[in-house]
Amino acid sequence: MPTLTYSQAINDALAEEMRRDENVILYGQDVAVWGGIFKVTAGLLEKFGPERVFDTPISESVMVGAGVGAASMGLRPVVELQFADFVITAGDEIFFKAGMWRYMHGGAHTIPLVVRAPSGGSGFGPEHSACPEAFIMHAPGLLCAVPSTPADAKGLLKQAIRLDNPVIYFEHKLLYQMRGEVPDGEALTPFGQAVVRREGEAVTIVAWQDMLRRALAAAERLSQEGIEVEIIDPRTLNPFDRATIIESVKKTGACIVVEEAYRTLGVGAEIGALLLEEALPYLDKPFKRLAIPDVPIPTSQHLVDAIVPSVDDIYRAVKELAD
Amino acid sequence: MNQEQLVRIYKNSVLARRFEARIVELAMAGELPPSLHVGAGQEVAQIAAIEALRPADYILYGHRGVAYMIARGVSLADMLADMAGKEGATSRGKGGVMHVVDVQKGILGESGTLGGSFVVSVGVGMALKRKQPDTVVTYFFGDGTANRGPFHEALNWAAVQKLPCVYFCENNGFAISMPTSRSTAVENIADRAAGYNVPGVVVDGSDPVAVYEVMEQAVARARAGHGPTLIEAKVTRLQGHYVADQQEYRTDRNVVAEKDPLPKLQHTLCDRGMLTQAEVDGIQADADRQVEAAVAAMRAAPLLAPEVALQDVYA
Ligand SMILES: Cc1ncc(C[n+]2csc(CCOP(=O)(O)OP(=O)(O)O)c2C)c(N)n1
Ligand SMILES: [Mg+2]
Repeated sequence: MPTLTYSQAINDALAEEMRRDENVILYGQDVAVWGGIFKVTAGLLEKFGPERVFDTPISESVMVGAGVGAASMGLRPVVELQFADFVITAGDEIFFKAGMWRYMHGGAHTIPLVVRAPSGGSGFGPEHSACPEAFIMHAPGLLCAVPSTPADAKGLLKQAIRLDNPVIYFEHKLLYQMRGEVPDGEALTPFGQAVVRREGEAVTIVAWQDMLRRALAAAERLSQEGIEVEIIDPRTLNPFDRATIIESVKKTGACIVVEEAYRTLGVGAEIGALLLEEALPYLDKPFKRLAIPDVPIPTSQHLVDAIVPSVDDIYRAVKELAD
Repeated sequence: MNQEQLVRIYKNSVLARRFEARIVELAMAGELPPSLHVGAGQEVAQIAAIEALRPADYILYGHRGVAYMIARGVSLADMLADMAGKEGATSRGKGGVMHVVDVQKGILGESGTLGGSFVVSVGVGMALKRKQPDTVVTYFFGDGTANRGPFHEALNWAAVQKLPCVYFCENNGFAISMPTSRSTAVENIADRAAGYNVPGVVVDGSDPVAVYEVMEQAVARARAGHGPTLIEAKVTRLQGHYVADQQEYRTDRNVVAEKDPLPKLQHTLCDRGMLTQAEVDGIQADADRQVEAAVAAMRAAPLLAPEVALQDVYA
């Protein structure tokens, strides 16, 4: 199996899907000539030409809204927002047009749209650093992918492009250079299937993207002390694989969600509610969330580190539960 | 425009006027929800503009009435079903009378947030350019709607890409109670076309021939790959913003009926010998028959099943 970076895996997924289906088009700010501000789309203009790979004005509303219109008329647009935070900038187009255009018109339209949204830690401050998955998960009509490995970055993006529903695909900025094995060719990652990244009996940890990386690092340390945690990577948040989490909690009796997002009504809150509704008898310990304490994300790195869950935070939370 | 076309515009305008009047009656009686924004006074311009399109062309529209759909031959009974939440509803109870859709007839739908269709129209234009050359999309919107941000983003990018889009503003001088003069810095919405390097044309929306000719040019330009045109039809909203609007804010409400374009069109047709009085009477009677048949069909149709609320979220 070849080893690729997360960023190359995304680029490969785009190239393969564009080669497979001429209806796939790719556009966004600086994506064509320059290859994107994170260089994820480098080389695609040369491969597919300016009718299929093109730069846009700084107009997030029309970038996303045009994606809805084009998708409804038979294209399969992939739109790159420069920062995931801008799903709010294009709020009408993401939540109402992409999410509801089909429903509002009684199913007359099909919207095979993918919006690529680079999320997470950046050092660019409150409006360029968020992981706004919970907003998307809350909204009817939008699918939500959160790939954590190069293999899933490729497999989920290829699958997203082929789905007939709008997908908000969060690619984490701190993972772009992560290396990992990526199967060649047709390896699609199904939506709605979580994966157990590490097996254990002590506690179930649900985490994805950079928080998954931190959870895995904490798990190594805990393992040296004889504490084995189970780590679940949901891979997509809508559809959301509830069963895998519940099955794991039946075994461990405890659950911690680690998320790089605001605590109140975040994804962790939803998972907590799910466990209350469907797994209360199996919970031996209080459910726990590690999340950003409801403040915007600052710019200075030491201030970011003060609020985003760290390996230490995860380690300590598990120890508290395990004691 | 030939004689047959002008007569068709008249017929469809009569049908739209009578259909909407009947909807208001049914709404006042409590049989339908009061959700229609009556288009009376603007339907002649709307229908004349659509007359300049080919059957394969598409439209996105605003909330002001149902004449667009009538010009495209959407079933009246289905539109009543949209209002009543009954079987036959084009949007299956999800969108009501403001989101009538019939893709086969080129009716793509409406954005509930005003101006949302500006940005959708750009994507439709991008798809048409690549997949259905020689086909155009026209978006109909109000003067108030022109003050939303998507207007700017869409016109700019549509112009840059030279998309086959036509933007048709119906300036009726009001956005609910707010006169355009108090909300809008330019004299004419079409003046903004200069900011996008596209033609901007003002036309008298009570004159169907003039509207048709302006649209014909805009559509030809779009088909030829030269990009969008911003048309502004000056029209009159004969009635309130919504069904029960008393229009206290309006100083012209006692004289507004004089600006009704429909009697004017009827006189023109009769004066020029294109229609006899008997034919006019026939057209009106026929419109009423169609409306009553649609009302009967709507009344006979069953309500949509409650589980329909759960459907159509995902493909
Ligand atoms: C984004 C948004 N803001 C406000 C409304 C509420 N609203 C519906 S119609 C209307 C007035 C629209 O005026 P105009 O565009 O001139 O159209 P007209 O009603 O005059 O035909 C308003 C404010 C809305 N639907 N969407
Ligand atoms: Mg108006």
